[in-house]
Amino acid sequence: MLKNSISIFWRKRSNYYRIKLTKCRKCGRISYPARERCPYCGSNDVEHIDSSGHGKILNYTVSYYRREGDAENMPRIVALVRLDEGVVIPAEIVDSSPEEIKEGMEVEAVLRRLNSDDPYGLIYYGLKFTPVLNK
Amino acid sequence: MAKTYIAGVGMTKVGRHYEKGFKELSLEAIDKALKHAGIGINEIDYLLVSSAFPELTLHQSDIATILAQELGIKVRALRVDAGEASGAAAVALGNDLIRLGRVRTVLVAGVEKMSEYPSAQANAAYSSILDYEYEGVRNVSLVNYAAMTLKNYMERYGVSREEVFKWAIKMHENALTNPYAYLSFKVSLKRMMDSQIMSDPITTYDAFPICDGAAALVMVEESVASTLDGKPVELLDYEAINSEPPYLRGELTELPATRKAFKKLSKRTGIVVDEETAIQVHDSFSIYGLLALEALGLAGKGKALEALDNMPYLNHGGGLKARGHPVGATPLYGLAELTLLMQNSYPGLNYSRDISLLHTMSGHDNSSWLIVLRR
Amino acid sequence: MGRPEARAGVVGWGTYIPRYRLRVTEIAELWGFEKRIVESLGMFEKAVASSDEDSVTMGWYAAKSAILRAGIKPEEISAVFVGSESKPYAVKPSATIIGDALGVSRKRLTTDLEFACRAGSEAIRLNVALVSSGTVRYGLAIGSDTAQANPGDILEFTASSGAAAYVLGPAEEAAAKFEGVVTYVTDTPDFWRRDLSKYPLHGEGFTGSPAYFHHIESSVKLLMEELGLKPSDFDYAVFHQPNGKYPLKVAAKLGIPKDKVLPGLVTPWIGNTYNASALIGLAKVLEAAKPGERILVAPFGSGAGSDAMSLIVTDKVKDKVNVAPTVEELLSRKTYINYATYAKSRKIIWRI
Repeated sequence: MLKNSISIFWRKRSNYYRIKLTKCRKCGRISYPARERCPYCGSNDVEHIDSSGHGKILNYTVSYYRREGDAENMPRIVALVRLDEGVVIPAEIVDSSPEEIKEGMEVEAVLRRLNSDDPYGLIYYGLKFTPVLNK
Repeated sequence: MAKTYIAGVGMTKVGRHYEKGFKELSLEAIDKALKHAGIGINEIDYLLVSSAFPELTLHQSDIATILAQELGIKVRALRVDAGEASGAAAVALGNDLIRLGRVRTVLVAGVEKMSEYPSAQANAAYSSILDYEYEGVRNVSLVNYAAMTLKNYMERYGVSREEVFKWAIKMHENALTNPYAYLSFKVSLKRMMDSQIMSDPITTYDAFPICDGAAALVMVEESVASTLDGKPVELLDYEAINSEPPYLRGELTELPATRKAFKKLSKRTGIVVDEETAIQVHDSFSIYGLLALEALGLAGKGKALEALDNMPYLNHGGGLKARGHPVGATPLYGLAELTLLMQNSYPGLNYSRDISLLHTMSGHDNSSWLIVLRR
Repeated sequence: MGRPEARAGVVGWGTYIPRYRLRVTEIAELWGFEKRIVESLGMFEKAVASSDEDSVTMGWYAAKSAILRAGIKPEEISAVFVGSESKPYAVKPSATIIGDALGVSRKRLTTDLEFACRAGSEAIRLNVALVSSGTVRYGLAIGSDTAQANPGDILEFTASSGAAAYVLGPAEEAAAKFEGVVTYVTDTPDFWRRDLSKYPLHGEGFTGSPAYFHHIESSVKLLMEELGLKPSDFDYAVFHQPNGKYPLKVAAKLGIPKDKVLPGLVTPWIGNTYNASALIGLAKVLEAAKPGERILVAPFGSGAGSDAMSLIVTDKVKDKVNVAPTVEELLSRKTYINYATYAKSRKIIWRI
């Protein structure tokens, strides 16, 4: 039996592979997630853009809370990341450690395994964040 | 418009009921509520069942029909789901149906079995309250928001880790006199300071325990209430508002939906609450209990811990922290505890105010519900 | 008009080395090897991918850098080939995942390639052919592996994780132009992994002279013969790097001095990244090379075959180096882990 639905994930894959934002052509504001309507002015004259995937850690927690399937990437660092485009998204921070992580730290999006239906089902890929390597 | 009354309440002891399933627990609570109300099962017009995760933890859809069959009654039966606020939503719906004159008696039963699977699966079920596509998929759980909120709260208001445990200490003390509470024992501050971190800085003593429970209310129209021997308590009014997901709010240390709902409710009903009002707030994590007091105007921002000492009727049953949080049933436990208090039949407490207030929410104020009782 | 491959060049390149490193002495101690085995292999440490990484995620990272260095939009790429011997799926292309995740055009040639450690190199060859023929303007070639090794086998000292990606395109836009490319292959069974087997097996010493050395020597000699070049014409030489010793030994056999090999030698510090091995070495050389310099690249794959390529660095190289993480930066970003963490990360610990 599959733990995850193939179609639920597949349909939104562009949202997991990239960070899609809503840019309002009327008021000019950028919002998250990608929607058909601007949450600030209500206009439906919007376009969907890709975030640069670059931002800063606004807040974070080191989590030992285990859900089904959580065994490998524990403890998990869960953060709110303020992207360069100004929006805040919840995200997992990887390849860092509780000792080095800080608020204000620059991070960038990297493709990782989010989840997988082991051992025979699908692997679900999406973006997590990691401390910026260069610059 | 007809008034609604809570005629009877029934609770089961919150805990890990390995020997009882959802049917047994529900029936136990229902029988107690009917007996308390002095109403027979056949006088019930409508069965509302609040449960948050029956599909995930019990392999059961349409839980209301299944329960009606178990009760041996032929009525309209409906399951209500509003996450952690399911019980409040069911009561609000029952209230509306009675006031609209559609029904005269409603049985509301809340039940949750969180101990049927190991904790990782219970945690996965609980995490499903969040938006799967944006939060669940990205491995974000509710405790993570609570942790980041507590962190901001402690930094902003200069509150220490130790001070926050004051909430849990009070809840454990309150639970001592509640025969239905799960964690009715005292816990020392030292033990709390040494407790396991769940999501830094939140430890197991800032969080509700995984547990099972069922609670039931019998709600009746005024004309029915007047025929009963007991002391029905009026459900004066309720309000509910939802909020954006936490990451879109910009500020974690506030509960905007709770604040807005309370403003609307108090404006409409004219109710005034102060530190001596019996209030049940949603303390799935202690920080939310503190923020709820601030959102309800009972303490200034960052001052909720100072207000605790002067609140004798705050979460008098021990709150979600110590009484327990069998999710779909939780608001019904809160209302049952308030009803007993207002009937002066809650052990060890005398309450003289006319009103009491229940606050419940799902997630981090994703939706917040308030219910006012009056006698 | 000269050779068709001269119309193509490396427009962008990118690499990925996971952050974590295991000192190979730990492996020797755990399995009771005499400690000098580590020196005999010329190895210090190896790169270990995290448990949420695989050849798709690493390939994605390398490709993202390669596209940044190419200075083009992902939609302009119309071929994606991924070479790997550690595909997350036995059936289901990695290249479709990487292509969609990067936003590459849907009108693309896409496939995964397998030829032990040289499939990534074959991906470059295919793209060079497509660019030279005018079939595509830009093509993406990726070599990415989370190399598996039977725990306790000598292979465990070197098998590691990493990725490299190249955007191939018109020679006029290139940081390095192809001068010539040749391939030499035979049926030589030096290393293999049967279907459903978790780890590969190998012929140990047999992987040396009849396999690695014979094929690389043959391809390089063929290249020099066809292009009329001699060893001293190359400023750098990058060979497949199964360990720290073989590349130096094959260079000596070909009459190429050690100092031309060392700039591109990375295996002693990251291990053998299989399909990324020589390609990370090439990237490191590109990041240090000067316009006009000539680079010899000779990947090798068991089974067996070797490509030999001659590249001439252009003046466009300098502006591209710092656009994305360099090999030096990836090499210096490291955190040591112990064998237990490595075993967990690489799923050597059996969980149900």
